[in-house]
Amino acid sequence: MRWLALIWKSLMRSKRRTLLIVGSLVLSVFTVAVLQSLLTTLNSVTDNPNSSNRLVVRHKSGLTQMLPRSYEAYLRQQSEVETVCALQWFGGYYQDPRNFFANFASDETTLFQIFREEFGVSGITEAQIKDYIRDGAGCIVGESLAKKNGWKVGDVVPLTGTIFPLNPRLTIRLIFKSPKPSDENALHFHYKVLEEGVPYMKGLVGSFWVRARRPEDIPRLIERVDRHYANSAYETLTETENAFNLAFVKMLGNIGAIIQGITIAVVIAILIVTGNTMATAIRERTTEIAVFRAMGFSAGRVLALLLAEGVLLVGVGGFLGVLLANLAAGGVRSSLGAAMPFFADFAILPDTVLACMLGALGIGVLATFIPAYAATRRPITEGLRSIG
Amino acid sequence: MTSDRFDLGGGEPIITLRDVAKSYWREALEIPVLQGIDLEIPAGSYIALMGPSGSGKTTLLNLIAGIDRPTGGSLEVCGYELNDLDDDQLASWRNAHVGFIFQNYNLVPVLNAYENVELPLLLMKLSRRERREKVEEALAMVDLMDRRWNYPRQLSGGQEQRVAIARAVVTDPDLLVADEPTGALDAKNAEDVLGLMERLNSDLGKTIVMVTHDPKAAHHARHQIHLEKGVLDKAVEVNR
Repeated sequence: MRWLALIWKSLMRSKRRTLLIVGSLVLSVFTVAVLQSLLTTLNSVTDNPNSSNRLVVRHKSGLTQMLPRSYEAYLRQQSEVETVCALQWFGGYYQDPRNFFANFASDETTLFQIFREEFGVSGITEAQIKDYIRDGAGCIVGESLAKKNGWKVGDVVPLTGTIFPLNPRLTIRLIFKSPKPSDENALHFHYKVLEEGVPYMKGLVGSFWVRARRPEDIPRLIERVDRHYANSAYETLTETENAFNLAFVKMLGNIGAIIQGITIAVVIAILIVTGNTMATAIRERTTEIAVFRAMGFSAGRVLALLLAEGVLLVGVGGFLGVLLANLAAGGVRSSLGAAMPFFADFAILPDTVLACMLGALGIGVLATFIPAYAATRRPITEGLRSIG
Repeated sequence: MTSDRFDLGGGEPIITLRDVAKSYWREALEIPVLQGIDLEIPAGSYIALMGPSGSGKTTLLNLIAGIDRPTGGSLEVCGYELNDLDDDQLASWRNAHVGFIFQNYNLVPVLNAYENVELPLLLMKLSRRERREKVEEALAMVDLMDRRWNYPRQLSGGQEQRVAIARAVVTDPDLLVADEPTGALDAKNAEDVLGLMERLNSDLGKTIVMVTHDPKAAHHARHQIHLEKGVLDKAVEVNR
């Protein structure tokens, strides 16, 4: 018998209790890991380093309201503006309504300039871009989306519109890669397809994506554009890309505070449950602890053994919880990643794994130390008198 | 049976108590349990500590075994002045010099007989093989080698106490302390356990100090020491 065997056997003295506490630890760590990863994912939506000089101009009343495409000319006239791209969420699906992914009608001539950092990793050539621009019924798709549907360049993709009464048949001209998996779950086609196919969209667009020449120009540009269209029939709301993305996250409410609140509640609850379980388990062993000490185990050694039991217990629970969270993250990516692009990046990051494991071990030490310390300070003679 | 006040025979003392006292405190109230205990117990003795409830016999046993400390006087046991040892030193001293036999056996329920006997050896610098040899020797001595993989719940009371005795002697201690070792056993098993303890004393030369209420159990000892209200009353040599 070795020390680890002794610790393990002690831990398994009440299998049902051990399994229940491990189960509650697994669920708690799983919950915390998933929630914290969700928070990280949501934060990453608003923390895109490539977006520092990109702006979004949309209708002040909301995303469902359109802006005149003629605004594009005014935007281009601003000395701080490098380029402008009209972009409209199309909201179509491929074959099955459940097969949903991000698809946009966008200005094919400026799209690659606006998002050049994202497209830059693809190694796309000028010839490929020209191919796409030349083909009015062409489209470009992200690599993840193409792989998922088994698409290749030249394939025809029929889209069924859900927002607009239009079912375009698009030919894939280019498959692009992106640093973020979420950006690869997208399809872009020519804006003209939407304008020509949907009469009421003629001359209108949902948003303009603007690339400023320098990040420091952005505040001035925002102020000028919105002032220019103030009190017009189509008032604008101009904001940075990060602020625009944050608006989507904010639709979910103050999700950060909610997640942190739930995390704290879960941690406190599991600390109480683990502490109570360990206290009960140690109290039941009062006589046994006294016998160990009578045989020559020092108080420090008994304390170390009890702490090791607590740490092993939460270590197993924490490990299984993190493992389960990783499996769940894979499920979330594949099931929600297409419909909600930021979920395509959802993962339990190493930092979260480390924080969860350290947190679990901290709970184990904290929950075990107080009852274990009290038990090892109790006089041996008193422990031997207890009925254990 | 002859009566000779505190004459426990000759020989080098293994236990020497000088004016030992022990009191407990209930808030401000001092409750004396032992007072003015002077006693020398020679190595190889087999002592039964007897007396009515509350006479202080278990307290005296605990002091001799180093699991409690006196409030006055000094104890020298197995060559060590116990008052000079700190708690960790005292724990090491107990591991090396004292074997414990309890009324309720106090085996660890999640360990089998072999592992229970091996437990005190984990504190010693021994190889796995050395530990196995010692455990098997101890279990063979109590005639339980065939039950070594059984857990305490799979053993009878008598077998459990024999495992506890094997655990007590596996470190080859000089001193065995037993607190009512037959208190939870039927007559047959009690007789077996007492016979075993007698052999440990006569064959292996272990010094045994046993607390008992049972005159039959006390009759197995070589001497009986009677306590009365916390003081030594008399010592009696047992004629067997």
